[in-house]
Amino acid sequence: MNADGAAGAAGGGVDVVIAEDSRIQAKMLQRRLIEAGHSVRWGETGADALALVRERRPDIIISDIEMPVMTGYEFCKAVKTDPALRTVPFILLSTLADPIDIIRGLDAGADNYVTKPYEPDFLLARMQSLLATPLADDAGGEAAMLEVTLAGQQFRVKAGRQQVLNLLVSTFENAVAKNQELVVANQDLSVARDNLQRSNSELVELNERISRINEHMVRDLNAAAKVQQSLLPSAEVAIPSMKVAWRYVPCQSLAGDFLNIFPLDDEHVGMFVVDVSGHGVPSSLMAVTVGRFLTPKVTDQSLLVRQGPDGRVLVAGPAEVATQLNKLFQADEFSGLYFTILYGVLHLPSGRLDYVSGGHPAMVRVPEGGGPEFHGADGFPIAFVPDVEYEQHSLQLAPGDRLYFYSDGVPEAMDKDRQPLGDQAMADVLAAGRPRPLEESVTGLLSRVEEWCRPIGPLDDVSILGIEWRP
Amino acid sequence: MDPFRRIQPEKKDNVHVVLFKDKKILDDTVLDEIKTEINRLLGSTPGQDVLLDFSHVEFMSSAMLGLLGQLHRKVGAAKGRLKMCSIRPEIFQVFKLTNLDKLFSIHADAPAALAKFKA
Repeated sequence: MNADGAAGAAGGGVDVVIAEDSRIQAKMLQRRLIEAGHSVRWGETGADALALVRERRPDIIISDIEMPVMTGYEFCKAVKTDPALRTVPFILLSTLADPIDIIRGLDAGADNYVTKPYEPDFLLARMQSLLATPLADDAGGEAAMLEVTLAGQQFRVKAGRQQVLNLLVSTFENAVAKNQELVVANQDLSVARDNLQRSNSELVELNERISRINEHMVRDLNAAAKVQQSLLPSAEVAIPSMKVAWRYVPCQSLAGDFLNIFPLDDEHVGMFVVDVSGHGVPSSLMAVTVGRFLTPKVTDQSLLVRQGPDGRVLVAGPAEVATQLNKLFQADEFSGLYFTILYGVLHLPSGRLDYVSGGHPAMVRVPEGGGPEFHGADGFPIAFVPDVEYEQHSLQLAPGDRLYFYSDGVPEAMDKDRQPLGDQAMADVLAAGRPRPLEESVTGLLSRVEEWCRPIGPLDDVSILGIEWRP
Repeated sequence: MDPFRRIQPEKKDNVHVVLFKDKKILDDTVLDEIKTEINRLLGSTPGQDVLLDFSHVEFMSSAMLGLLGQLHRKVGAAKGRLKMCSIRPEIFQVFKLTNLDKLFSIHADAPAALAKFKA
């Protein structure tokens, strides 16, 4: 085949010896060289590779530096000091961690070096250019001793002119290649930075959207809370022959409880406490819907009053109101949302209270100079059971009697050990408040509940409505 | 692996005995999970008898009553029967306050309830 290695200039397949201790890197390099049409022999150490070179003179040698048994420098020196081999081009694969590596390569007689990691095409191009310009055998005259100072260290290097030139060119080419890599890396970085900026501005936009939605929801919640406020008694409830006091403490901004008291006509006063199951938006929506039916204004929707044929206002009986409510709130499929109600209509001249209970706790009556009494009624919660007729009950008040409607948030208020306040304690507080004004008895009960629930506070809405009838 | 987190179902005398695992049924998420799991257990097979066992339940919200009402209707519509048992006095109070003790079929313990299914 090739007598002296010059045949490589023809550009055809050449015989390559590689020295590389990494099996994977050797395989990759081998595959690439074979693909380019070359034949490859591989030595795992410098010593192995030297044996291959001595066995048959190759056209070119590619060698790693760090290897056990014999380093790339030693291998190179051995080749370059062998008169039969010194004109074989020798490429060192350097990591270029240190400029001194170049001096060492020069001293060892390497013709070229390629920095790792390298592009296979870059290495192939180096091979081609080395093979295109065969090395003169300058064993004798041209090789001179050079003195080089590098990083404060003096080196004496024996090298030929062409070798120095080749190394200089490869240094320059390596630097250019690295520079190009840097330029590409820089471009990648600026693309990444642009992407980051874009992502960041998307995040900012998203954040703004979320806070807009949040603002919206807060506004809606506030609006809903305001609507709920409208379900409560107007600031001053002035009804002749009656005193009224009430307290309403929702445990969240949106509550399921509401209460009201208002004149229905000249002789009748309507009063109720409603407690929708659950809390939050679904419950408060139901509360608002229920409230529209429980209005003393004569409207199409009012279940409490309607216009009679003679133009006079007709007051509906409490049982009829509950039955109608239950009909209105029946859905094909029960959603699990329901409410309890205690609704009473007091006839002011006589003191007769007609009332109905839809699963609501009993009212407490505290007579003047008497003990507290519970007055409740059977009746399922509204919306719970279809087609129920609610039963009406009556209670005759004596002058001076007090009546208290409330939600289960009062007797069921839990202390920190989850013990309920209880009916008895509630009645006792109301009885103890009897000698004091009605207003104080209501605030007294609320304070008792709040005290009981310390330190967490009530977990349910608390509603208390008190009246005192004195014709 | 147990596919149920909130309930422990068991078939006894052809009755689905559903034991609630939670001590407190207060949270909306707990309620939703209980509902989902019971629906998964019952599927759409008609005529199933169900016994809800409250042995472990110490606290319960009023919203749980709503869920029981839903079940009551669902089981009844499918021509099955729904009973409840082992409700401790504090919990029973919630039923009593709302008169729902008169709507639901409530029994002292599981054997008593199971005997009623046979009767």
